Amino acid sequence: MDIFVDVLSGMTALADPYVLLFMIGGFLVGTFFGAMPGLTSVLAIALLLPITYTIDVVPALVMCASIFMAGMYSGSITATTINIPGAPSSMMTAVEGNVLMKKGFGANALGHAALGSMIGGAIGAVLLMAFMPVAAEISLLIRTPGKFSLVLFALVVIVIVDKGNIAKGIVATVLGVMIATVGIDVLQPIPRFNFGTELLVEGIDIMPLVIGAFAISEVLMQSESWKDGLSSTLEKAKNIKIRRRDFLPPRSEIREIGLMAYLRASLIGYGIGILPGAGGSMAAFVSYAMARSSSKKPHEYGNGSREGIAAAEAANNSMCGGAFVPMLMFGIPGDPTTAIVLGVLVINGLQPGPRLLENQAELLGPMLGSLFFSALILIPLTLWLFGPWFIKIVSIPKGLLYTGIAVVALVGSYVATYSIFQMSLAVIFGVLAYFMRKQNYSTVSMLLGFILGPDLEEYLRRSLSLSDGNPVVFLTNPDSLFFLALTGLFVWAILIRKPKKGLAEMGSDI
Amino acid sequence: MADRAPLLRTGVLLPFFFLIVTTVYLAAAFNIHSQFAGDGEMSPRSVPILAAFVMYVALAVVFFNEFRKPTADGPAGEMLRPLLVIVATAGYIALFRPLGYWLSTLAFSSVLFAIFHYQIRKPHLFALYAIGVTVLFYGLFAGVFGVRLPTITEGFF
Repeated sequence: MDIFVDVLSGMTALADPYVLLFMIGGFLVGTFFGAMPGLTSVLAIALLLPITYTIDVVPALVMCASIFMAGMYSGSITATTINIPGAPSSMMTAVEGNVLMKKGFGANALGHAALGSMIGGAIGAVLLMAFMPVAAEISLLIRTPGKFSLVLFALVVIVIVDKGNIAKGIVATVLGVMIATVGIDVLQPIPRFNFGTELLVEGIDIMPLVIGAFAISEVLMQSESWKDGLSSTLEKAKNIKIRRRDFLPPRSEIREIGLMAYLRASLIGYGIGILPGAGGSMAAFVSYAMARSSSKKPHEYGNGSREGIAAAEAANNSMCGGAFVPMLMFGIPGDPTTAIVLGVLVINGLQPGPRLLENQAELLGPMLGSLFFSALILIPLTLWLFGPWFIKIVSIPKGLLYTGIAVVALVGSYVATYSIFQMSLAVIFGVLAYFMRKQNYSTVSMLLGFILGPDLEEYLRRSLSLSDGNPVVFLTNPDSLFFLALTGLFVWAILIRKPKKGLAEMGSDI
Repeated sequence: MADRAPLLRTGVLLPFFFLIVTTVYLAAAFNIHSQFAGDGEMSPRSVPILAAFVMYVALAVVFFNEFRKPTADGPAGEMLRPLLVIVATAGYIALFRPLGYWLSTLAFSSVLFAIFHYQIRKPHLFALYAIGVTVLFYGLFAGVFGVRLPTITEGFF
């Protein structure tokens, strides 16, 4: 309970105009990146990561949280208006929202998306704050073999989530683990894989990997298709007229969707957020599928269902709160955005875990508050203020946009450490990630392998050291056994068990 | 480009690159020597060796799947523009300190505009936007965040 009070009192830092500015600025940046097809909130945080070296940890975390929330919501804007989801998590919103747009209810669809995002985001943030003290208590009970099995569980889930690409998922994850082994050993003062150069003795920082994998590779991807569909998109964007008063969904429609539908979608999103590697797309899809299967009006789905929009958007925004739980308690990020936020914590010398919550609640409070207020206030406010112009975002020429991104990425990777070497590393990782993306290797898996690899190694070696090299310790330790059983359960559920017919058909449709 | 030689497509070349990297990595792992090791203790090279073997198995599956695939990659022409961006980026990094932020970023922006065919038929707008990008991000990094960016005088003297 003390922790909860500490977190709440830490939220008062948001009243500081400097911190508030970062929250609002982060939200606007996240909205822009989320709404722009091809750009994501992950890219926004990746580009701003070097800046976190130069500012305090509180505004940095506040900014990351508001970008995360904004990015999840704003994908619905272009999804609804021009049927191009700004973010992958808005795919289901595009299915329903664009039909409404064509029927002349575009602003209404945007209003429902914002309302769903607002409710889901706020519930996710409240659940995060309410259950974090409990999660902290539980995490204290997990001993070293259990921690190993937990990290292993996370890595296995990250790989098997992309069911059709498991071998490539393993390659990407192990590559991340291998990159992380460069530098001083996790337990002994021995340099590894520095190949005779002092530059690699300290290891490879997360920053060039993030910038390379998410920013530079994106510029390279876009340079391939720099002209595709641009003129038609511009034409579509020019012809769309949206009025502010139409954003507010009528009460009758909200009542029809029902409070329980919002709540259920939020709980699904939050629960999926806790799972490593699942992310907003899965949250939106599962929630949408469940809403459709239990709907009183299933015939509306695919023909502009407001209930479908609400289910998808509430779930993907609620996922933001869930994704922070494993990251803050165990240092296991649930998705790429929280993986980068973990990087911000580590850069500032903060180690995730229950002690962080106990001793540094004043640092985390503003971040959690930023999630909550971004959802509750900034989502409706930005829709009201900037909604009619949102659609013009897509008319920004690619040449100008990606040149700007390239400059920010490269100069950003330099300013973090004033090192040309870091800049070069960012480009090397960028080129590698570009070819990986072209061949469907997940760069997110590589990043999570990089982050979780050192923990996996440390817990494995410590566990075996404490048990005189006996690997049975992982089976005799109850918490370890629990996570190994959970890993087995997920492997069975995702890889072996056949999905229900209806769900499988819907999955293949999108 | 289904008729392209099956060994010369990125679907095969990329895992082949990973195979070489893993082999170099494994060789380097065998050269790591522990300073001390107790009973049952894993040495600093154990996990890297394990990781390399997992990588070999996964790559074997990737190769198997690639060779079973009937079609190859997309058209070869699509690689030109990304390659130009890579070369421009390498040049930018090489000149960033010697030329300083202003000149190198202005040149880099101009080259990227040209690669993306942005305003190339309107030289005055082309120059204006390139200067705009350079000034905007100088303002962001140096002005807002107080970062010290390299100048031409630092690079040469």
